[in-house]
Amino acid sequence: MPGIEYLLEALTPFNIMLALCGVIAGTVIGSLPGLTATMAVAVLVPITFSMPPASALILMGAIYTGAIYGGAYAAILLNTPGTPSAIATTFDGFPMAKRGDGDLAVTLACLASVTGGLVGAAFLLGLAPPLAKVALAFGPVEYFWLAVFGLTLISALSEGNLLKGLIGACFGLLLSSIGIAEISADVRFTFGSQVLLGGIETVSALIGLYCVPVLIDLVATPDKHLKVTHQPKGFRLMEALAISWKHKFNLIRSSVIGTLVGILPGAGGSIAGLVAYSEARRVSKRTEHFGTGEPEGVQATESANNATVGGGFIPTLVLGIPGTPPDAVILGALLIQGVRTGPNLFTQEGSIVYTFIYGLFLATILMLPVGLVIGRYAYKIIITVPKAMLVPTVAFMTMIGTFSIRNSVSDVIIMITLGVIGWVLNRAGYSPSPIVLGLILGRIAEQGFVQAWTIGAATEELGLMFFGRPISLAIIAFICLSLFYPLVRARWIGRRRKVRAD
Amino acid sequence: MQTDTPEEVVRRDVGGMVTAAVFILIAVIALWDTTTMVDADSYVFPRAVAIAMIVFCLLLIAWDLMRPTSGNGDVSAPGASTVRRVSLVVTMLVSTALMPVLGFLVSGFAAFVSIMLIAMYDPWTRFRTLVYPLVCAAFVVGFYFLFAELLLVPLPIGSLFE
Repeated sequence: MPGIEYLLEALTPFNIMLALCGVIAGTVIGSLPGLTATMAVAVLVPITFSMPPASALILMGAIYTGAIYGGAYAAILLNTPGTPSAIATTFDGFPMAKRGDGDLAVTLACLASVTGGLVGAAFLLGLAPPLAKVALAFGPVEYFWLAVFGLTLISALSEGNLLKGLIGACFGLLLSSIGIAEISADVRFTFGSQVLLGGIETVSALIGLYCVPVLIDLVATPDKHLKVTHQPKGFRLMEALAISWKHKFNLIRSSVIGTLVGILPGAGGSIAGLVAYSEARRVSKRTEHFGTGEPEGVQATESANNATVGGGFIPTLVLGIPGTPPDAVILGALLIQGVRTGPNLFTQEGSIVYTFIYGLFLATILMLPVGLVIGRYAYKIIITVPKAMLVPTVAFMTMIGTFSIRNSVSDVIIMITLGVIGWVLNRAGYSPSPIVLGLILGRIAEQGFVQAWTIGAATEELGLMFFGRPISLAIIAFICLSLFYPLVRARWIGRRRKVRAD
Repeated sequence: MQTDTPEEVVRRDVGGMVTAAVFILIAVIALWDTTTMVDADSYVFPRAVAIAMIVFCLLLIAWDLMRPTSGNGDVSAPGASTVRRVSLVVTMLVSTALMPVLGFLVSGFAAFVSIMLIAMYDPWTRFRTLVYPLVCAAFVVGFYFLFAELLLVPLPIGSLFE
């Protein structure tokens, strides 16, 4: 275990202030739909150039961790993931808010995010060099199977109609292939339109599919946006702590999943959240309540997505391969600072790395009071602001947020159009979640599949390529468990009931 | 003998079937478009997805014809205003389309005020008449400052003002 001198170095007033400011800034930016953690880090990077490297890393880590958590507010209170990492938070967070437990959901998300962040940072501190090898063991075929694993969530998100869920996922997969193909660079499904050449931007699509239908329904009636069953008093912290303690294994499991997914370059918080949600749902005794406002669902996704922060830093610092998009920005900032990442970083530049890791712990702990206070006010604002102010504010935020991603007016038009399509599909019984799942996982699945296919065909070992690698087989086993375990379990419970009745 | 009450009578999921038919059309167009692609790497994946989508849609339609269900889509709240819904979408689309011409500040303010009027259900008191427009202006300017000045997003100035 690295020495206490680095801990003391991380705890200087300057570093504490940086961690606090970073968490606040990150949380606020992350809570605005359209502004991602990557953007939050990228925008604030120039400030760090004049700082010592360890302090710069602490600030960037704090912004990153705050932004990932901040995405939960909009997901819970507006059904709009503030960042893509918070997609799965909408599944149970918004139903909780709708039934009057929005404050509890926000506090649960905060506790889960802190737990996930601490677990991720602990892995970074203790196991970074050996875990970095995991990133190298993942080839295209493993990414393909990981995406398929994510797609198995469709059965959970189809709300009673699996066929509609599958159709929605196919629609999302087709949307993901619009634009220039990543491997062959063919132009697909643009029908001559310049606007579609860049493809459908994922965050814009998320905002459209989740938020615009809420706005369309919100404006149609004078009813309140969220049901308020009680006057908001305090944070409901004790209640949230009791729930968190009850589901501590869910928190730990999801945090470990988040860390491991974070290690994989390019996977990111959205995949981590989806995989952790899928596992939490599979293992839970209340499987049937997932999607209807189950606290375990919020805990799983929020702990997993914040664990990717620490996890993502493992390949970034040990191998120089960014684990997540914000890590790529941080890696660039480190290079400007003259810090060379690589296997020797932990031995040669220990003072920078370990001071930063302790700083990440500090920022994550600071996220608890910061997150609770900001979350409480966010909830209060959402339930007290009159509809005539809430609707234009949210609509305005979706428009400016979408524009800011690629500085494109066309993206805003596409976002609104997708929102209208999402609303119409909702009326016909198609949930937006499978579409989003297809859209996000489509690119990863296609790239992995085509690359693996090409390698397999070239080496004449196509079957072995897809079904002969140990990690692939492990993921395939999880896919089978995810698909068939609920059926086996239902049958087993039915048989047990029958035996008892006899 | 059991008689169905009107609520219990099962209906065909017409909405689900119509959308399934539209999805088949989309998949067919996608399949047709893949014929223009040269590289197998480009068309294998979307073609497989489009075929899967057609199969699922046909299954859905067949399933509903054989075993009618009432569908599971969202039901409109009683008294929900279609005019307000359409107005919201049109306002968002028009203000976005006008952004390159009028600039972010003007089109944003116009959109904010219009959407506020569309979402207004409370009576217009003197307080609201005075305060709400000021809040709208403060929001638009505040967001402009946050995005353009702090986050350095190049918001459109508008061809009219260039």
